[in-house]
Amino acid sequence: MPNYYEEISQNVITGQLDRVKQLTQQAIGAGNNPVEIINQGLIPGMSVVGARFKAGQMYVPEVLMSARAMNAGMDLVKPLILTKDIPSAGKVVIGTVKGDLHDIGKNLVGMMLESAGFTVINVGVDAGPEKFLQSIKEHQPGVIGMSALLTTTMLAMKDTIELLKEEGLRDKVKVMIGGAPISQDFADEIGADGFAPDAGSAADLCKKLLA
Amino acid sequence: MSRSQYVRANYQVNATPQLKMLSDDQCENVLNGALEVLERTGAEIHSEEALEIFRKGGCWVDGNMVCFPSHLVEWAIRSAPSRIVISNQKGERTMFLEGQNVYYGPGPTNTYTIDPFTGERRRAKKSDTVRAAKVIDALPNISFAMDCGTVMDVTPTLSDVHAFQAMLENTNKPIIHWGFGIDQYQDIIDMAAAVAGGLEALQRDPFILLYSESSPPLRHSVEAIDKAIFAAKNNIPIVYTPCTFSGGVAPATMAATLVIAVADSLVGLVAGQLVRKGSGFVMGGLISTMDMSSTILSYGAAELSLLSAGLTAVARYMKIPMFSTGGCSDSKVIDTQMGIEAAFSILIAGLSGANLIHDCSYMEYGATSSLDLMTMDDEIIGMVKKILGGVLVDDEHLALDVIDKVGPGGHYLADDHTMDHFREFWAPTLINRLRFDGWKAEGSKTMAQRVKEKTQDIINNHKPEQKSESVLKEIQAIVDRAEAREANKR
Repeated sequence: MPNYYEEISQNVITGQLDRVKQLTQQAIGAGNNPVEIINQGLIPGMSVVGARFKAGQMYVPEVLMSARAMNAGMDLVKPLILTKDIPSAGKVVIGTVKGDLHDIGKNLVGMMLESAGFTVINVGVDAGPEKFLQSIKEHQPGVIGMSALLTTTMLAMKDTIELLKEEGLRDKVKVMIGGAPISQDFADEIGADGFAPDAGSAADLCKKLLA
Repeated sequence: MSRSQYVRANYQVNATPQLKMLSDDQCENVLNGALEVLERTGAEIHSEEALEIFRKGGCWVDGNMVCFPSHLVEWAIRSAPSRIVISNQKGERTMFLEGQNVYYGPGPTNTYTIDPFTGERRRAKKSDTVRAAKVIDALPNISFAMDCGTVMDVTPTLSDVHAFQAMLENTNKPIIHWGFGIDQYQDIIDMAAAVAGGLEALQRDPFILLYSESSPPLRHSVEAIDKAIFAAKNNIPIVYTPCTFSGGVAPATMAATLVIAVADSLVGLVAGQLVRKGSGFVMGGLISTMDMSSTILSYGAAELSLLSAGLTAVARYMKIPMFSTGGCSDSKVIDTQMGIEAAFSILIAGLSGANLIHDCSYMEYGATSSLDLMTMDDEIIGMVKKILGGVLVDDEHLALDVIDKVGPGGHYLADDHTMDHFREFWAPTLINRLRFDGWKAEGSKTMAQRVKEKTQDIINNHKPEQKSESVLKEIQAIVDRAEAREANKR
């Protein structure tokens, strides 16, 4: 039986979506353990991508192509595994705050988180405190991430944190924030647990918050 | 000197060096691309009022999606004025946004500012906009004011109104200013009318341009599009400027990035022209690439200059005044990188003939404003303006009689002709050309040190011409009114 894992990894690294799908299907057909396919094929490939990106050897579009390829493989394997057995670094709810329609940076964070092994629930743009609250109740994430591009809308981040306090949920979930006008000072000021200046470091921050 | 033959036929003059990034055919290509995108793909519009205006104007409206028939967009392009004259705050017509006239100024709404005395990078305060306005007022090559940072030590939703007050009180130059929404825009127009001597006087000789940013690709928030509508209703010119970056909110090719930027500008143009035919519209704006390692929108990229000059060529082809970008940098400190990036973008934007060139104060990919950078840019602009002046070729400047009079081996230092013309040379104020010993005697200062000293000197000693007590009181009353309104909202 050929060892598919190394080849899956290589094709995740080069972002060959169709090839990853094909190899994953073959690996499943050959009777490989689905959890092993994830842990020894898909994720190790993505780990290499993450390291190369940090070292400046890969660029954002290449990372996204790799993430897309990895997710295509995941989609084939996941139905074969009990939900509780699917390897995940943790659950993260992300959204752009109320009054703000800018979601490109937030979506980039989502893709980076997914490629780092997190399960991401994206609540979209113009998300008020209630929307975050509802999503927390429904999905019980370890972290919520709020994004804002505007100096006016960033003030809405505090409202969500206040609502979590009122609902007694603040100590059950970590809060990270980001976006062009956001700084560590602002995160401290509104009582967020962390701030990430860009999508790559958002994944690192998430790992740190959940450690 | 007498000439045997003094008639010149078909004599062509290059009054200035030229840089036309795109030919007319290429401009037509880009414009047709934008028209096709607007007709086929359409734009997402989040304002009920705008949707109604577009529907009545003959667009296809389906929910929030609006598709624009090309004939309507072409009508709007023709209906908008090809020239807008902006006055200073004393009503003197100073900026002629027409043809290839260029005017430089700083930029708005940075998250941080560098304190010109301590060097600290921090959130901007109202007193920072006061300082900025003084520096703007004093620098001869800075033609208009912008706020140089979102002020954070006032009522948050009135940051725009307070910054506008700070500028009105400290400079008489024209102002390009943003607002959070319609309420604040009304405050700003009322304050400007108080300075101009009434709304009608302001409409006739506007010294303000309102400023609105859409969210590309092809998405226009309530605030963005309603501001374009508000400006047209009030007959005040607007700068409508999508912030388009290649690879992020536009395809990774420059031609496609131009298509998105033109299409998004045209959405604002159509809205304004449907509200008031002939209302003043300036297209923008910020166009560059996304750095694929750091994901910043680069303010120092070669592509910023290429794309801005390309967009300017298309604007000129459409005969719509253009708001471009230059004098900015991705650097975090005053250093060689800052000098390189600022100088290149100022030169290329100038050569392209963009009417308004903003962001001559933006460092750190736009996150931070720097008055030092603005001071240094003033010097660069002086140099660039000299280059834009070209080489004058006529009998007086050819000076054949003078050459003959002085003859071989002579010198021109004491000649009347030299006296008449040597002041046409550009004279530096910050660039250092002293001999070594002279430079050493003056303290062996670097460019950065000289820039810092000049900025500090302006802030400490420049006295802008003050407005009358009654006008200042009127302005304050409008700020108070705005404060009361916002207090009621809370």
